[in-house]
This record gives sequence, structure tokens and C-alpha cells, in this order.
Amino acid sequence: MSYTRQEMMAIAAGREIRDGELAIFGVGLSLLAGFFAQAHHAPRVRAMTEGGIYGATPVGGLPWGIECNRLCTNAVSFTNALDALGFLVASGRCDVGLIGAAQVDRFGNVNTTGIWGEPLGERYRPPKVRLTGSGGANDIASGCRRVIVMLAHEKKRFAERVDYLTSPGYLDGGDARARYPFRGGGPSAIVTTLGILRPDLETREFVLAARYAFASVEEIVANTGWPLRVSEPVAVVPEPTERELAALRRVDQTGMLRRNPDG
Amino acid sequence: MSSKLMSLSHAVARFTHDGMQYASGAGLPVGADPVVFGRELIRQNRRHLHAIFHATTQQLNLLCAAGAVDKIECGFSGLEGFGFANGLRRAVESGRVLLEDYSNLTMALRFLGGALNWPFVPATVNVGTDLQFHSAFHPDEPASRRKIPPVTDPFSGREYGALAPLRPDLAAIHVTLADPEGNAIMLGSEWSRFELSRATRRLVLVADALVATDCMRQFPNLVRIPGLLVEAVVYWPFSAWPQASPGIHDGDERHMRLMNEALGTPEGYARYRRDFIDSYQTLDEYLALIGPDTVEKLTATATGFLLDPYRRWLLSRAEIDELLAESDL
Repeated sequence: MSYTRQEMMAIAAGREIRDGELAIFGVGLSLLAGFFAQAHHAPRVRAMTEGGIYGATPVGGLPWGIECNRLCTNAVSFTNALDALGFLVASGRCDVGLIGAAQVDRFGNVNTTGIWGEPLGERYRPPKVRLTGSGGANDIASGCRRVIVMLAHEKKRFAERVDYLTSPGYLDGGDARARYPFRGGGPSAIVTTLGILRPDLETREFVLAARYAFASVEEIVANTGWPLRVSEPVAVVPEPTERELAALRRVDQTGMLRRNPDG
Repeated sequence: MSSKLMSLSHAVARFTHDGMQYASGAGLPVGADPVVFGRELIRQNRRHLHAIFHATTQQLNLLCAAGAVDKIECGFSGLEGFGFANGLRRAVESGRVLLEDYSNLTMALRFLGGALNWPFVPATVNVGTDLQFHSAFHPDEPASRRKIPPVTDPFSGREYGALAPLRPDLAAIHVTLADPEGNAIMLGSEWSRFELSRATRRLVLVADALVATDCMRQFPNLVRIPGLLVEAVVYWPFSAWPQASPGIHDGDERHMRLMNEALGTPEGYARYRRDFIDSYQTLDEYLALIGPDTVEKLTATATGFLLDPYRRWLLSRAEIDELLAESDL
């Protein structure tokens, strides 16, 4: 059975979503992973996007955005940002959120603001490369009971410290999150194109918990920018089933995850 | 109440000035946004704008490429599935534009604070991150205490973040339907347009379609912006183009890409300005620029049924032209 690394990542992230949960999906890959879960094993997931679009399933392919017309044809409620990100997410009511990342560090902190080439430090200066900024990611990472972070597993993206801390993981590790009034518990998994990292329960450092069938531990360690700890033994993530792939490809009708055969 | 209908050029001439805080009221990043209001700001050479954009990006991308903006406060600055915003990127990376980052919730909370005229809004988000510690507006302050300073909850003694309320000088808000008095209905996510309509000092609506006031009387629960808040109503179909307006038209994927690619270089921007900003005078010329085939294709949106309950009240072009002639603006 053939599938791409991106498809494996979307399926592995989707498996983290349980039926019946209140869930919020970000844009792009995370939207695909979330709606894959709904199409496959979580038909009663209560899905929303940060615009306050409730009960919608995308038609005609992956939405261009979280309020794309592809998501507006079968919604049961349109509300607003204060409602979705505030009343339901920052309040602590939402079970799970899915977000993407440009950069992540060993404590699961996420950068989607910009690339400076080094941690920004004390004094602000313009980035070398401006990215998108937080969007709803900071609010989701602060408020959801648990958060799943998705990104391509490349050394430059897995940094010892993120250049800019946009969305909180476990900050400096340990119980550092407790210093702040976040209602949510922090990231439960970093799902990548090579495997799955989970936090150590005490230090909150992310550890390699499982690899995909096509990825070796050596490859994953070599593509991580900090000395990655590896759990013993490392699990192997089950390959996508035919039913899973069919469900994902129904959601990914325009083939966004299949464009790069090696991706 | 009398008609508040006004031409786009007159509304921009009357309600905008250099250096003002200008807020765009829109849906999500590639959603319903009065992009055409930004085109008109450029046509009238507005400069040094302090842009308050919750999340929509193509208009901001354009204003940045045009050099019309000095400062930005926003929650998000990308084009989602269409990639990064090239014009905005050039402006921010060069330091020509200062961009102060918030999140999508905290922008909405700041509008809420402005609407309520609160001194600050307590936040459980953005704290503990570089959104709190770094300020593009005050770059020399380490661990800035001016952007989101800590504030103590008098009940529990716990520390939260204090958000500064926003009260923009002007908001141009995209609505799907308006009556001539400025009562308005938005289809799709209202995003933060409800709070913004109360936070802004002055409010101009840009409407895809006009309806008789009887329509508002039929659906008063859906009229989230009542006319008494509104200074002027601009009728401009496809004002969100190339972005989408739920119920009215889809996004123009080809033009989204063409526009963003053009905004990536000064030469590209100059061509874009010539071809898509300075090249029309009237609404009909603007629609001709989009092209009748494209207009027809985008209007055949799968979301069109959302407009069905309102169709019987839609004013015809002849009725609208008559109202505009009466207002003489």
C-alpha cells in the first residue's frame, strides 16, 4: 500500500482525536487531520474552527482557510472569534486542539511568528523571515485541555530553543506552565512526518515515543535539533489501513497531501 | 431615517486621513473583507496609516506593498492556503512597517474592551510567551511591560495579562446585506465585526447587496449591526474580491495567487496598481476588470442558498442608482 509521509502524519494526528470530543482545528494540515478523524473513527466529534463555524464538514476539497466557502455550505451555526476562541477554548472547555508549527522546541513551544536565525533574545528586531503570527494558535495552546502539534520533521524546525515563542508548550519545562493562568494542559503529542514525540511526565521534555514504519530512530534523531531522548522500546506506529487512507483521501479531495511523492 | 448611501470615493475622502487608525472589519484571513476600501485608500494616496486588522490579509498585504502603512496591530498575517503575504513580508522584514503581534482571541478581546470603554481586559492567553514579552512598538524594552503588562486579580491574587482596548478612528466593515439606513446582516462567521462595530469611533459599511428595511424587520435577530451606529453605507458588489463572501461569491483562486505574487516586488506592485487599482472609475468598470466570466463563475457558489431567505427584498440596480442619485454623494 502506498502513502506519503504527509498522509501518515495526518492519519497519526487524526488518531489522537477521540469520538465525541469538543475539538478545534487550525488551518491546512491540521484541518485535514481533524476532518479525517471525523470521517473515520470519530463521527460524533464536535468540531469547530476559530471563526465560530460549527457542525460543518468541508466540501469540494481542503478549505483555503478556516472560513472558506468550502466550510460554509453545511454549517449549523456561524458565530464569532470571541465565542469559539474565548468562550469555548480559552475558558478551558475544549478537549483538544490541532495546530501546525514552523518551529518547535524540546518543551513543545511553538513558533509561527518569524525566523530570526537565533532566539530573539531581549531586544525586539524585525525577523529575517516574517511568518504568519499566532492566529488562534496561542489561544488554542493556552486553553485546550490537550493540544497536538503537527510539523515536518526537519532539523531546522526542531530547535533547542524557538526563535520566538508564539504558542506555549511547557515553557522552560517542569511545572513552568503553572506560573501562568492558562486553562489548558499543554501539548500531549508532537506528530511529525517521521514519528510521534510525547512529553516526559516530570520534566515535560519531548521524547521520541514512536516511529513510523518507514523511519529509523537514527534518522529521527539526526533530524532533531536537540539531543533527542528515545523511549525504550520505541513503538512502531501502525501503518494506515485501507479504510483510513480512503477516508483521508475523501477529505483531501484535491490531493494536497499527495503532491510531493517523497513528502 | 434617511438614506446613508454614499459612493466609495466620497466615503474614503470624507472619513479617512493620513496617520489615522484604520480598522478593517472582515471575516477570516481569506474571507469577506472590504478589500476595495483599501484600493480606494491607495487611489487617494493615504499614508502613514496605523492598521488594525484582526486577521484578514490580502488588503493589508496590498496596503503594505503600497507604502500606505507605518504600523500594524493584528492577530494573523498570512494567506492560509495561499501562503505567506509577500507585500507585508517585504515591509515587515525591512523594518519599514512595525507589526505588533497579538493572537486572534486577544484582538477580539481588545475590541470588546474598546466597545465597553473598559480600562483594560484581563487575559488568560498570550501571557508567558513572546507575544507578551516583545513589543515591536517599544523594541528597546526587554520583557516589555507596556504591551501586555501583568495585572493582579483582586479576588484570587493571581497574575493575569492586561490587554489594551482598541478604539480605531474608523472601521470599514464588510457586510453581506445592508438597507439604506445601515442596518446590516453578515453571512458567514461574523469574526469580530460585532465588537468592532461598537469599538470604532466611526463606522462605514461596505455591502455586497442592498435590501429594503422590511427585510431587517423580518430578521431582527440577525441584524447584528443596527443603522444607528453607522455613518455611511457603500454599495459595492465583489468588494471582497479576490477573497470570498459567503452566500454571494467564492474566492478567486487565480487572482489571489496573481496578486500575492505581484506584491512580492516593487515592480510587480507598480504593475498591479496600474492594472487593478488605477484602472477603473466606476463600479461597472471594476466588475468588468474582474471579468464577466469570472463574476459568473464565482457567483455560482455552493453557498448561494444562504442568500435565499433574503432574495425577495434585494433592491435592483435601478433602485440603487435612484437612491444614490438622491443622496448625491
